[in-house]
Amino acid sequence: MLKERLAQLVSEACDGEVTAAEALGATVPLSYLGVTSLAQMRLIDALEREYDVEIDLAEDVSFLDSVDGLAAWVSAAR
Amino acid sequence: MITFTGARRGTAPLTWGQRAIWDTIQRTAPDDHYFNFGRILEVPRGARPASIAHVARSVGLLVERHEALRTLIGPGPVQDLRDRGELPLRIAADAEPTAVLAELSATAFDYAGEWPVRVAFVTRGDEVTHVVLAFCHLASDGLGAEEVVRDLRLLLLRGGLSGGPPPQPFDLAGWQASRAGRRQAASAAAFWEREHLRMPPTMFHVPSGAAERPPVWRATLSSPAADLSAQRLAVRHGTSTSTVLLTAVGALVAEVTGHETVTVLPIVSNRFRASTRTSVTTLSQEGLFVLEAGKARFTDLLAESGPAVLRAYRSAYHDPADRERVVAEASRERGTPIHPYCCFNDMRFVEQAVYRDEELIRRALPETSLSWPLSQDKLNCRFCVHLGGAAQVSLTADTRWLSRADIERFLLGLERMLVEAALR
Repeated sequence: MLKERLAQLVSEACDGEVTAAEALGATVPLSYLGVTSLAQMRLIDALEREYDVEIDLAEDVSFLDSVDGLAAWVSAAR
Repeated sequence: MITFTGARRGTAPLTWGQRAIWDTIQRTAPDDHYFNFGRILEVPRGARPASIAHVARSVGLLVERHEALRTLIGPGPVQDLRDRGELPLRIAADAEPTAVLAELSATAFDYAGEWPVRVAFVTRGDEVTHVVLAFCHLASDGLGAEEVVRDLRLLLLRGGLSGGPPPQPFDLAGWQASRAGRRQAASAAAFWEREHLRMPPTMFHVPSGAAERPPVWRATLSSPAADLSAQRLAVRHGTSTSTVLLTAVGALVAEVTGHETVTVLPIVSNRFRASTRTSVTTLSQEGLFVLEAGKARFTDLLAESGPAVLRAYRSAYHDPADRERVVAEASRERGTPIHPYCCFNDMRFVEQAVYRDEELIRRALPETSLSWPLSQDKLNCRFCVHLGGAAQVSLTADTRWLSRADIERFLLGLERMLVEAALR
């Protein structure tokens, strides 16, 4: 469920440029599919609000580049 | 005159975005008309023929809906939101819309006494063909103006809008003063502080010895080849052309100045939050982009610039009062003024990145041209890059620090850097 929801958030953050299904099935980093830095910023805002977490941009944020990475990060942070 | 009657009035503190542009305007006066900008809406086919009365009513509804368009700057300064008034209307019969816009934008706004949008209708016979809007930058930034134009178009077509207005600057000021707003401000201020204690004091510190009169000049490079190259690089590196160009500018600043750590202030939209995405107000502010250029090649920097861009974007949503304090403290502690005086403004609304063919890039090279569209006395910066539509990159610089030859060399160097990297 978590992964499906995260894929949905990714898709919303880039205005549907990448669908939730594409995000879930991605075999390359999401940024290569069209999740730009602007979309990443929207995704960060959505994650922070939905999961009540804070993302420190001074740390490694490569987890933003895959749904698996996002799921692992959110699970650890909650 | 267009009369309007809005739902509420009152005063509120300036939002961070309003404060930032207000400070910048103060430092640029009397050349502050520099910040005026406009939009031209051709009356949509479905709304034709449109009478002056119909279009005037639509503009009235627009001003009622978006409080930014009926907010003046009161003493303090504060937001001075008015609920009713009359907006002057100019009728320009058989005129060229762009010429009308140029006229409307030519003089600075009277921030305390004049509505922050100037309106003209271009007419042919009895019919309005174009609505020309000149914005005071305190009312909106470019993306907010896009919302205004979209709403006006719908009002012309349908006579009304469904759904309430997006969050207003009045409410935004309330959120920014709340606990959540202060938390965001504190996190941004900590980043500005950390970087200001270690970054080079400024980017361009060697006098050019070739100051012009007036000192500020703009060169505009029109380069389809640079645009196509940026697209190819964006796809290759899984990023946007905006990031490609910001990184390229940073890498070239490193090359020409010798700084290993480069700081650029990108103008950031600050519309990443659901609450701010469609607001009509000035949200854009400077962020702080710190590029550890070292001796690295541009393409290597491109592979690593993503996180630095995210940090820059987040740092842009800050309270200008915090930033002012942080900059003053760092300057005092280090015994020298700390300010990059190096900014970057991507003013394009659409971003397209396609893996462009090498041959296409080579063939586009002869189309490059360079012009000098502007010179003026004052600018609150030394080096400002603007990206406009149609493959245009402008550099507005203070010739006391970069000669006109330096400006031209920089733009041509930027093109070369992008093309060479794209073809490698």
